[in-house]
Amino acid sequence: MTCREFKHSAAALTLWELSRSRDGQVLGHADACETCEMWLRKQRSLAASMRTLQAQTAGLEAGPDVERALRAAFRRTAATSTASPLSGVERYSDSLPLDPTDGLTPLAMRLSRFFEIGAYVAVAAAMVVGVFLGVQLLQQRSRASGTKISPVQGASVPASTQPVAQKPAPSLVEESSISSPERQPVTAAGSRVRRQRPSAESQTAAAAGPVVADVSQTSTDDGYVALMFCDPLSCSSDSQVVRMELPATGNTASQGVQPQMADVVVGYDGVVRAVRIVN
Amino acid sequence: MLTDLTDEQLLRQTLAGDEDAFTVLYHRRQGPIFRFALHMSGSAQIAEEVTQDVFMFLLQRGQGFDAERGALGAYLFGVARNYVRRALERNYPEMMLSSPVEDEAASLLVENDPSEGIARRQTSAALWKAVLSLPEHYREVVVLCDLQEQSYADAAAAMGCAIGTIRSRLHRAHDMLSKKLQHSAAVAPGMASVTARCTS
Repeated sequence: MTCREFKHSAAALTLWELSRSRDGQVLGHADACETCEMWLRKQRSLAASMRTLQAQTAGLEAGPDVERALRAAFRRTAATSTASPLSGVERYSDSLPLDPTDGLTPLAMRLSRFFEIGAYVAVAAAMVVGVFLGVQLLQQRSRASGTKISPVQGASVPASTQPVAQKPAPSLVEESSISSPERQPVTAAGSRVRRQRPSAESQTAAAAGPVVADVSQTSTDDGYVALMFCDPLSCSSDSQVVRMELPATGNTASQGVQPQMADVVVGYDGVVRAVRIVN
Repeated sequence: MLTDLTDEQLLRQTLAGDEDAFTVLYHRRQGPIFRFALHMSGSAQIAEEVTQDVFMFLLQRGQGFDAERGALGAYLFGVARNYVRRALERNYPEMMLSSPVEDEAASLLVENDPSEGIARRQTSAALWKAVLSLPEHYREVVVLCDLQEQSYADAAAAMGCAIGTIRSRLHRAHDMLSKKLQHSAAVAPGMASVTARCTS
């Protein structure tokens, strides 16, 4: 028998069987092999210690209170067979009211359960407060970004052609040559062009997804009337404000009425986004 | 006579409302369940709670027992094992803060023969401490097979694993116990000398 076979045979025996083993093959190998003999001696020593421990705890049993409580529970469940079987259970060593849903919970858990429930409540309250504060913060940020859109000097740019979300300010503004005196000087081409990059908020808002405009809010404080619904691709890009003279009708032209002027917000794609009548 | 009935017959009568049958079944099975929980936890309080919980479980869900899948004793050990696990998980923080369970375990040892002296008591206390320090799945097989003298088949039924798993875990657990006992003897040489002196 090899050491491997010896270990295999020994593993098939319980500690008690091993300690009393009269198996000639196993004992013969243990006599011949010092390592295996040492191992067998340790196992026998362990078995003897186990036997001692077993003998010293053999007389231990559950107390009489356990049996009393179980018998009481048995009678109650038998008497109230229609009711929940857990409702009548009495604990033998405490007088705490029993939670019907927790009839099998060991007694030691009972006190810690109060702390556990308290912890759950605290976490739930923290989550509610967190959500509330988050909503508040989002609302504040949306309001702040809405007011940040400032018109470029010279031509008042529509504050919002996307009334629902934060709209980027028009970034390319062309001032008409007929602007007020305090405005920028006019170029040779009759207009002055300035570029303005969209703010970080507007870029973020633009990336947030398509915006559905509320038709009832398409007219802004600056007098612009939005002519189209915007989506982030088209409305977050540069745009121009062009002041132009509206074509006069036959009657107004013949009566010598002053021509009607309008500021028109035109996107880089040539599509008119908003219009405002100047006078 | 009720005492002549098998566990399964007693359970059937218990579930039919026979209190005497329940009492006989309880007296027959509560000791091993209590000692299993005691050896696993080292706490008499937890062991009593587990014993009560196991029999409450039997009263309420005893219909779920299938005799073809194993003996009632193994079934009860399986239920007790789950309750012990749950109790140890729940009590872990308290146990870490309070005095170690090994102290309580040692105080529970009963010396039947006072002439054997302190040596046997110390040996048993050291062994129990080593058993309690084993990882749970090794502790379970040691308690079931070595201390409760369950067969490998019954232990496998209680733990819901193969017999080969029980064997390999037990083999490994014995090696771990031997090392732990050697280590404790090395750490406390006084104990070893007392043992040697008393046994010689």
